[in-house]
Amino acid sequence: MTRFDRQSFLGVDSESILTASTIGIVGLGGGGSHVVQQLAHLGVGGFVLVDPDHITDTNTNRLIGGTLADVETETKKVVIAERQIRGLIESPRVFPVPDSWHLATGALKQCDILIGCLDSFVEREQLERFARRHLTPYIDIGMDVHNLGAKQFLISGQIILSLPGKPCLRCVELVTDDRLSEEANRYGDAGSRPQVVWPNGVLASTAVGLVVQLLTPWFEKPAEFVYLDYDGNRSTVTPNIRMELFKKKTCNHHPPNEVGDPLFDVRKFKPTTKTAIKTEGDNRDGKIHDKGRAAQRNS
Amino acid sequence: MSIQFKITYHLLKTIREDLERRHPFAFERVGFITAGVSAADGNLWVLARDYRPVNDGDYLRDKSVGAMIGPEAIRKALQCAMSERVSMFHVHSHGPCRTPRFSGIDLREQAKFVPNFFQIAPQCPHGALVLSDTSAYGHIWLAGDKSLTVIDRCVEVGAPIKIWRYS
Repeated sequence: MTRFDRQSFLGVDSESILTASTIGIVGLGGGGSHVVQQLAHLGVGGFVLVDPDHITDTNTNRLIGGTLADVETETKKVVIAERQIRGLIESPRVFPVPDSWHLATGALKQCDILIGCLDSFVEREQLERFARRHLTPYIDIGMDVHNLGAKQFLISGQIILSLPGKPCLRCVELVTDDRLSEEANRYGDAGSRPQVVWPNGVLASTAVGLVVQLLTPWFEKPAEFVYLDYDGNRSTVTPNIRMELFKKKTCNHHPPNEVGDPLFDVRKFKPTTKTAIKTEGDNRDGKIHDKGRAAQRNS
Repeated sequence: MSIQFKITYHLLKTIREDLERRHPFAFERVGFITAGVSAADGNLWVLARDYRPVNDGDYLRDKSVGAMIGPEAIRKALQCAMSERVSMFHVHSHGPCRTPRFSGIDLREQAKFVPNFFQIAPQCPHGALVLSDTSAYGHIWLAGDKSLTVIDRCVEVGAPIKIWRYS
C-alpha cells in the first residue's frame, strides 16, 4: 500500500496530475486554511499562498493548523499554511506571499486554479477579474451568519465555480453595485463577520471536490458552472436556482478581448534562460496530462 | 523560461469543428487564433481570444500540400494583428493523430510567414499551433529575427482542464 492507494479511484494518472498541479489560495483564514490542508492531504504539489495577516487570538476558533503558540509569536498565516503542507508533502513547491494578492500576481499567473477565500466583495470581484484575464478557473467560497432576531441565526454560504466564458460572480449577482457601494462606504472594510469552523470546513471541502473534478479523471463530465448554497442550519448543500438557469449563459462582464495584459510588449520581455531551437523536423517528446489517458510519448 | 498557451474548451471546440469542414478543393483547412499575452518572472502566457477562419475563396489550388492560402488570407491576418494589436497563431489540424507535430512543410512555411507579423505587430509574439482531435502543440517566435521556441504547455481550460506538457 502506498499513501495514495485509497484515492487511486481518482484515475491512473491522478497522483502525477495532482503533484504537477499548482493551486493558488487567496485568504488563509477559516476557509483557506481548510483548503490548504485538504489539498496537501490529496498530494497537490504546488501552492501559492497569499494572506497579509498574522494569526490572532480571535482566529483560533477556526484557523486550521494555527496554535496558541502561533498567536504568541504573531505567526503569519502563510507560514502556518506552509507548515501544514510541508508536514504532508515531501518536496512541495510553495510560494508564500505574506502580502496583498495584488503583489502576488506573478505567482498567481502560474496557478492552474485559483481559490478565493475572501470576505471583501471588492477583492473577490478583482480576483475573479484577474483569473478571467489569465484564463484561470476561479473557485469562490464565502460564508455569513445572519441575525434573524429573537436570538435566531442563519448560517449560510456559497461555493461558485467561475470558468472563463461561463457565468461570473456578477452574472449570478453575488457581486452587485449595491454590495460594492455598501462596502466602499465602510472604506473597503468587509467587517468582522461571525465565523465558525464547521461551515468553513463544509465550504472548503466542497471547493476541494471541485478542484479534484477539474483536474483528475474520476468524474467524467464535471459541470462548467457551479453555484452551490450552504444552509448551515439544515446542514445541506444544494444547487442554487441560478446554477440551472444560467448554465448555458455566456458571461458579458469579461469579454474575450480583455484577456491578457493590454500593455504587454514582447520587445521589453526578458525571458529567463531557455535555448531557442531550430528544427529541421520536429520530433520532441510530449508528456501529456490529458484527463482520462495515460501519459503518452510522441509516435 | 516557461511558455504556456491557454485556450478555453469552447474556443478549441469551435476551431476543431471549423477545421473539420470540407473545403471545395483544399485537402485541409487552416485559420488564425488571436491572443493576448501576459508575462511574469521571465515566463510567458499566451491567452487565446478568438478564431479567424480563412475564407474558402482565399485558398489556392496546390496539390503538393494539404492547404495553400493566398496573399489575401495573409493580408487579412496581418491587418487583424495590426488593428487589434494581438498575437496571431496560425492553426491547422492533423485530425485523429494523438500527439500532433509539425511536418517538414509546416516548418518551412512557418519560417516564411510568421516573421512577417513582426513587421506590423512587433510588440506581440506570434506563432503556430497544430491540433489533433485530442491534443495541441505549438511554436512561438518572440521576435521576427529569432529562432522559434517550442511552447512548453498547452492548456485547454474547461471542465476538465487538459494540460499537454512538452518540457
